[in-house]
This record gives sequence, structure tokens and C-alpha cells, in this order.
Amino acid sequence: MIWGAIVGGFVGTLVLTTLLRAASELGLTRMDLPFLLGTAFTPDRVTAKAIGYALHFGFGLVFALVYYAVFLVIDASGFLLGALFGLIHGLFAGTALVNILLPVVNPRMGTSFTAAGSTPLLEPPGFLLLNYGRRTPLATLVAHIVYGAIVGGFVSLAS
Amino acid sequence: MTQLRHVEPGRIRGYAPIRDYAAIGDGRTVAMVCRDGSIDWLCLPALDSPSVFAAIVDAERGGRFLLEPAVPYEASRRYVPETNVLETTFTTATGAARLTDAMTLPGGGLAPFRELVRRVEGLSGSVRLRWRLEPRFGYGSARTRIERRDGVPVASSGSDALALHTWDAGESVSDDQAVTGDFETDEGRKSLLVLTAAHQEPLVLPTRDDSEDRLEATARFWREWARGREYSGRWSEAVIRSALALKLLVHAPSGAIAAAATTSLPEEIGGERNWDYRFSWPRDAAFALEALLALGCAPEARAYFSWILHASQLTHPRLQVLYRLNGRADADERSLPLSGYRESGPVRVGNGAAEQTQLDVYGELLEAASRFASAVGGLDRDQGRRLAEIADYVCECWQQPDSGIWEMRSEPADFIQSKMMCAIALDRASELAVRGLVPAKHLARWSREQKRIRAFVERRGYSERKRAYVQRAGSDVLDASLLLPILAGYDDPRKPHLIATVDAIRSELGRGMLVHRYLGEDGLPGDEGAFVACSFWLVEAYALQGRLEDAEALMEELVPLANDVGLFAEEIDPRTGEFLGNFPQALSHLALVTAAVAIEAART
Repeated sequence: MIWGAIVGGFVGTLVLTTLLRAASELGLTRMDLPFLLGTAFTPDRVTAKAIGYALHFGFGLVFALVYYAVFLVIDASGFLLGALFGLIHGLFAGTALVNILLPVVNPRMGTSFTAAGSTPLLEPPGFLLLNYGRRTPLATLVAHIVYGAIVGGFVSLAS
Repeated sequence: MTQLRHVEPGRIRGYAPIRDYAAIGDGRTVAMVCRDGSIDWLCLPALDSPSVFAAIVDAERGGRFLLEPAVPYEASRRYVPETNVLETTFTTATGAARLTDAMTLPGGGLAPFRELVRRVEGLSGSVRLRWRLEPRFGYGSARTRIERRDGVPVASSGSDALALHTWDAGESVSDDQAVTGDFETDEGRKSLLVLTAAHQEPLVLPTRDDSEDRLEATARFWREWARGREYSGRWSEAVIRSALALKLLVHAPSGAIAAAATTSLPEEIGGERNWDYRFSWPRDAAFALEALLALGCAPEARAYFSWILHASQLTHPRLQVLYRLNGRADADERSLPLSGYRESGPVRVGNGAAEQTQLDVYGELLEAASRFASAVGGLDRDQGRRLAEIADYVCECWQQPDSGIWEMRSEPADFIQSKMMCAIALDRASELAVRGLVPAKHLARWSREQKRIRAFVERRGYSERKRAYVQRAGSDVLDASLLLPILAGYDDPRKPHLIATVDAIRSELGRGMLVHRYLGEDGLPGDEGAFVACSFWLVEAYALQGRLEDAEALMEELVPLANDVGLFAEEIDPRTGEFLGNFPQALSHLALVTAAVAIEAART
């Protein structure tokens, strides 16, 4: 069953990343999660993207395992329940994870407390990531709901 | 908010003369800066992306970034020597200030996706300057939202955003249309306005020090690059400026060379001869390779040649007339709801010429391949195979009518220059086969077809009445493109027919030192200026024919026709000296370089 979560996490992250890239190409958002994650470690764009993608997939697996733990506790799983988790996950990402926590760990991202320093600053995402485009919350929520549904579905299939 | 009134000493209904523009860029996009400090053209994130400033083709709706004195002034400008960093000096009754404009190169560290730096230094007295940023994404038609984030004005539309950072440049005021401000500069005081852009990613918000450092590093890069160029002849200043202009048009991500930085600057004021030149024409390959190799730009030459073969893979063995800068073959043409430069509509994006058959491109490509192979010492097996297949295709297609080098929108015809270039294609393929660089399986066929083409040209393409090769089979119309086969070595350039053709072109198509492409019907209403590249081709033809005095005299007259910063458009009106057509134009500068190199070669 845990393999269901691992496979679901990988496939879900793959689909989530693809959806967000597509949203970017369609002009719905400027959010680029691998870029935001990777620049926490290096100012080099290419390296940042490589690190960012690796981290993003790592986090995708970690979140799938968290979903899996909750499924175990409540003794239920399935793609609909996964989709609900995805919705909560997406709201958490937009309100706290990327908006509050990422700026804390990414030294290149500004917060409302940051004064001009010697390091270039990344545009902060703002509440619900709205700074990256008005449709960013929609794109993020849809992508996370799909992610959750895939994880829930795979866990259910494997059990 | 006080509405600024734009002082336009050199403008007609909001439009400056084309020669009043200078280009700055970063190898990905180019901004056009007017003498009056207004940036009237900028596409983001790449040169062929939709514009965010397009006042050059619609003064009302196009968008711009203006920075100029708030009182009457005179402006003089130059590029910082050997760079693509522009300096404009404004002199007013109360003082003088210098504006430095550049698009910076990223360098180390986390740099903005694109960055345009405008630095103002007080030189003497005090000068009040005002600025106004009017971003209009999507060629002025996409909804642009302007808001402030922690005091920084940010304009966004879809997956694109701009932020304006200012230091010592006054308080900025923004509304839903523009961000404005003004400030006074005193002797020694420096102000900075930095426009950063993001595409499909968050904005990178720079610090003042980092932006200034990048500005210095950018100037340093250009200087070092310019000093690496190898021409040191009589026209070195013009040649190095041309090299720098060409480098601006090289699309760094792919190696393609854009034909020009703009779309739809008209070939006739008020006319409809307005085309999008933000594409790469394989036709320019031979000139580009010759110019780049002569200037010691081997990496650029290699990248460009690889790009052509890469881009043409999808249409192989047929060569499309033009390709997008990223190598894609689609170039659907459409008109934008913009008024056009001085009401010269339509403003087109995309280029319908992509669909035409133009047979001369094969000659240009094979000639370029021959030059490339000689310079780098060979071709790889795949390149050789593909060039052989292209030569086979020429054997099949040379008898077809085509639209010719000038992309005439009239019915296809038997253009003699196209036929001559087909003969050159087969000649170069044969030469490469003899050298063992392309498969020689069809060598006999190439030789046989080449003879047939040459016989056709002599029979139908030479007019005894005009004493010249002519534009179309059986016609009496002269065409300056017939200089090209001479430059590409169709035959001994000193042969009487070729000397007579050069003389006929000069006497019939020449207007002073300038040369028209042709004077006949081309399927479009209206007229056009003299074609700058043709004039330089004439210089080169003279040099190849050993008429060095004629070549040098003409070159002496042509070089000063550039604008004050050394740039050429596509055409010049011989009556007024006004620039016409897209700007700055790669072909004009390529022709200048090859003409200068040919003169040096003829001297030695």
C-alpha cells in the first residue's frame, strides 16, 4: 500500500508540474515552483531549476506519504478523498507554505520585513500567490486537487 | 496626477524620424531608443515576442518609456565606444545631463529575467527631467494591470510582468495607465531607473548596486567583444559598429540572425509595404557567414550555420524562405489593430512570404556551406548528406517559376537571379563533393543540370538591348539582385556581360550613390526608397571587378549615410535622405561589412 503512495506521489507531482507549466504557457500565472525552491540554494538560474525540480519531486513524495498516513489513521482512501486532501493542500500552499514559509527559508525572496540589501530579491508571492497573476490560486488549486486525486487513487488501488 | 506633455521637437504627429532611433539589446531582445529619450519599441521576453512598447508603430496606443528634460533641450548621442550602450546628452538653458541606456547581460548571481537600465548623470548646472512609463502588453491590446508592491510599481498581464525601480529619480505616481515621476539632477548627481521583466516566473527585484554593476559589466563585455573583431581597414569604425549591430540581432538562445529588430516600419510613408522582419532568412546565410568569418566571429558563424540546418530539418530538402528565431517554421501573417508608423498601416506580425517559393535561397545556402567548410576545415557527415539532398532537390525544382529574392507578391515568374543562384548551388555542391565533404553519388547530374541552367540564363536572361542580365526571363527589366551572383562567383566577375550588367544597374537603378532594387511592377501599390544593401553590393562588385577607385569612391559616399550612431535601415529615400523600412537592418550592415572586406582584399 505504501508503494501506492510512492507511485501516486511521483505521478501526481509529474501531473501537477505539467499543469502548472501549462498554466504558465497559457498566461494564467507566473508561478514557477522549481525556480522558487532552487533559488533558496543558489543564484544560478540553471542550477536553481535543476535543484528545484529535484526538491519539488522530493516534496511530492513526502506529501504523498503524509496523505498515506492520514488515510491509514482514518482507514479510508480513494481519489475523491485524495482530491479533498489536495484542495486543503493547495489552500495551505497558497496561504502558508509558499506565501509564508518559503520566504523564510529562501534568502533571496523578500518579505514585508526585508529592507534593501546587497542580494537581489525575488518577487514575493503574496496571499494566495496572487502576485504571480490573478488566476494563480485557481491554477494552483486545480493542480493540487488533481495531485491529491492521483495519490488517493493510487493508494486505493494498491490496498 | 498631472498629465505630462511630451515635448517632441523632431516628431511629426508623435512619430520621430526612423534615423532618430538607436538600438540597445541583450542578445534576446532589442529596445529602440529615440533621440528624445523615449523607448518606443521593446518586445518581451524575446525579439519576436509581442511588444510592451510599440509607440514606434502607434504613438497613441503602443506604449513607451519616456525620459527627457522637462524644458526645451538639445540632444546629442553616441554609443559608448565599442559597445551597444547608448549615451544621450541633453543640454538645456540651465544645464546638461547624460542618459545612459542599456539592456544588461546577466553575469553571475541572480539577475532579472530581462533588465533595462537607464542612468542619468548631472554634467553641469541643473536639469529637470520627467519620465513616464506606459507599458502596453501584447502589442497594445492585452489588458495591462498596474499596481504597487511595497512601493514598487508593477505592471502585469498574463504570464508577463514589469517592475520599475527608481533611485534618486523622484517620487513615482501611478494610475491604471502609466507610472510617472520627475526629478532634478545636479552636477555629479546620479539617478537610476531600472525596468525589470519576468516571463512565466516571479520578478527578480534588483538592488541599485547590482544593477549598476551589471551596467558596467555589460559595457565591458561589449568592449571586449568588439576588440576581438579582426577588421582594421579604412572603414573600421563603420565595420565595428555594423558588427555590434549584427550581434544585437543574433538571437543568442538559437544562433539565428534576425533580419531587423522591428516590424512594419514602412518602405513608403503612408504605404502598405510594411513587413515583420523579426525572423531569420536563410538567404542571408552567405553574407552572414562571410561577414562573421571575416570579422573573426567563428562561434557566431558556427552557431548560425548549425541553426539553419537545424531549422530547415522540418522542411528538408525544401528550404523555407524564413524561419522563426527559435527555428520553428510557422510564420502566419496577421494585421494588428495599430495605426502604423505615421499612419502607414497595416502593422503586420508574422510574414506571409514564408509560404513563397524562392529558389535563390539554395544558392545562398550552398555558398555559405562552402565558405563555412573552408573556414572550419570541413562538414560533418550529416551536414554533407543533407547538403547533397538539397542539391538533388535543386536539380528537380530550378525550372519552376518563383517569387524571387524580393518576395514579390505578383504571380511567380522565371527570375534570372534565382536561376543563377541555383547554378551556384550545384557548383558549390560539386566543389564540396570533389573535396570529399558531401556524397558524390550525383555529381554528374549536378554538373549536367548546372550546364542546363547556365544555358537557360544565357538564352533567356541576357538582354542585348539593355546589355545586361535582366530580372525575368525574356524581359528588359533591370534588377539590382543580379549583383549577387557576381558576388557569389557565378562566373569570372570581369567578363564583359557581368561588367556591362554592373554598369547598367548603376546607370538605370542608381540615384546618386544609392541604388533601387528595381523599378518595375511588383504586385503592390506604391513606391519605395533605394535599398541600402544593393548600394553596398555595387561597391563589392566594383571591387571584385578590379574597379577599386569606383568601389572606394562609392563606399566613401555610402558610409556617412548611416544615422548619427552608425546604424542603417533597409532603405533610404534618395530625395530626402529619410530612412525607410525596418531598423536596424542586418542585410544593410552585412553588405557594408562584406563590401569593406572586398575592398581590402582587392587592395592586397
